[in-house]
Amino acid sequence: MSVLEIDSVTKRFGGLLAVNDVSFEVDRGEIVGLIGPNGSGKSTVFNCIMSIYDVTEGSITFDGTDITDHRTHEVVNSGVSRVSQESNPIESMPVGGNIQLFTLPNSIVSFGGGASDAEIYEYAARVDIEDKLEEMPDELPHADIRRLEIAKALATEPELLLLDEPFAGMNQAEITELAATFERFRENGMTIVIVDHNMGGLMELVDRAVVLNNGDKLMEGTPTQVTEDPRVQKAYLGTAEEA
Amino acid sequence: MSSATDRLSTVTGRLDQSLQPLADGFNRLFGDYVGELNGLQFVLVFGSLAAVLTAPFWGTFGLVRAMTVAAIWAIFAMSWDIQSGYTGYISFGHSVLSGAAAYTTAMLIHNVDPGLSMAVTIPVSILAALVVGLLIALPSLRLSGPYFSLITFVAVLIFYRLIPSFSAYTGGETGIQSVEVFTYDPIARYYYMIVPMLVVAVALTFIARSNIGLILVSIRENEAAVNAAGIDATKFKIFSFALSSIPMGIGGVLLVHFTGGVDPTTFIAVDRSIEMIAMAVLGGMSSILGPLGGAFFLIVLRDYILTDLANLSSPARWTIFWALVLAVLVFVRDGLFRKLWHGLERYGRGRT
Repeated sequence: MSVLEIDSVTKRFGGLLAVNDVSFEVDRGEIVGLIGPNGSGKSTVFNCIMSIYDVTEGSITFDGTDITDHRTHEVVNSGVSRVSQESNPIESMPVGGNIQLFTLPNSIVSFGGGASDAEIYEYAARVDIEDKLEEMPDELPHADIRRLEIAKALATEPELLLLDEPFAGMNQAEITELAATFERFRENGMTIVIVDHNMGGLMELVDRAVVLNNGDKLMEGTPTQVTEDPRVQKAYLGTAEEA
Repeated sequence: MSSATDRLSTVTGRLDQSLQPLADGFNRLFGDYVGELNGLQFVLVFGSLAAVLTAPFWGTFGLVRAMTVAAIWAIFAMSWDIQSGYTGYISFGHSVLSGAAAYTTAMLIHNVDPGLSMAVTIPVSILAALVVGLLIALPSLRLSGPYFSLITFVAVLIFYRLIPSFSAYTGGETGIQSVEVFTYDPIARYYYMIVPMLVVAVALTFIARSNIGLILVSIRENEAAVNAAGIDATKFKIFSFALSSIPMGIGGVLLVHFTGGVDPTTFIAVDRSIEMIAMAVLGGMSSILGPLGGAFFLIVLRDYILTDLANLSSPARWTIFWALVLAVLVFVRDGLFRKLWHGLERYGRGRT
């Protein structure tokens, strides 16, 4: 049963066609890779799901509800959370405060509420930054900043987690460890979509991959099907030659 | 130099520890709501409170009068702060809100019924400030960037020009001067202003230290993150403006019953909006109590020290006023009272 349906989504920026009639589905409990060379429209698809951008045409359904025209906070509250490519913690708040913000109720009369210290500790512990709750974001190494971004997303209790280039800038040991973390999330029932322009490491983690190229959907299939597909190889090699 | 500060902090640290039991008592009762204090901070807060409450018994007439005016402006500065200081959406038009309340009171008395009771005019006037606040906030706070500030700026210019256009009802340039004052007794009048100010200060401090304050600050720091947290940033921006409008209305009502009348220059001119900002910035934006301190500091300086003690002319007083604000902006950007507060934290035991 698919939890996320992207149905003929098109996104135009003026004359630029960033995403062209892309459709795919994600089943509950799956880890799906959304891959493609730089500029192929992967992050734009995420931005459309999160309503950072309005889609030009098409619809997005999550858990049976049409969320195409939902506003960002409504998408989040329906159970979708996204970890951006850029880290943007609030520099004036410690790690714990940054996580706490993501647990606060969307209510102007709720003076208290939000997660307890123990719950914040739990979110942090799921990505191994539980001993850094008091530290300020600018004191953290890059990998921990990225973990904080994931902890913030977890704090909204998502059913579907969208990860945008989660491994960027990490060394091999950190990548392996983080991939194991994502596996644990899935074992706990979470559905995950990972955007990456780098096919290599991702293919061991994902059940399926959807390949975008220049805004078009090129193909989808198992990791083996994708890596062996001549169109995919051409898309990646093609950009390599151009670059 | 550093050994001198070390020695100083040894002394203050000991002083702080001896005061700590008092502060602990406060922290146990209220710490969860408004944050914890150390011994020195406790003395600052409650020493100032005692000084403010007893001012008529030790202050001169001039000083008490200045502090009466300061109480009203402290309400304006704190109200501005909960919206502009916290969310970072800077309003240049807050005098429209206090002006709306003051003009509502005066126009009800002038146009409707001179015998209208304060029990009617005060709530209606505060409501008017809220309505005007929502009229400005609803369209403008959906925009981001500098547009909000520009709209508030234009709003105050329009409001200022509207007054003479309807002079039959508003009294034009000279305004309406038939409003009853609360009392002619300067001591009673002082408490008429100080008590509402303290209520506003406690209420806004409580809100600022709650989740609401955390969300408002987060909007200033990173609005996208607030939306990504599942929180409707637009709703909270509009709420903060409404929340600011109510005490602005209270302050406007106090001011009209203090002066006994309204006129566009005293109540609405954009200068008044900028003065509120100056007080908040001098005291320390986004701290509520900083702007309160800033208002007392600047008004006691302008209306008492430079007027009664130094006998300076009005242009000289204003020049010093603005030069001081400029100096704080350049050298103590976080504000004088925030600096003092953190200083006490360092020189005390330093609670985390």
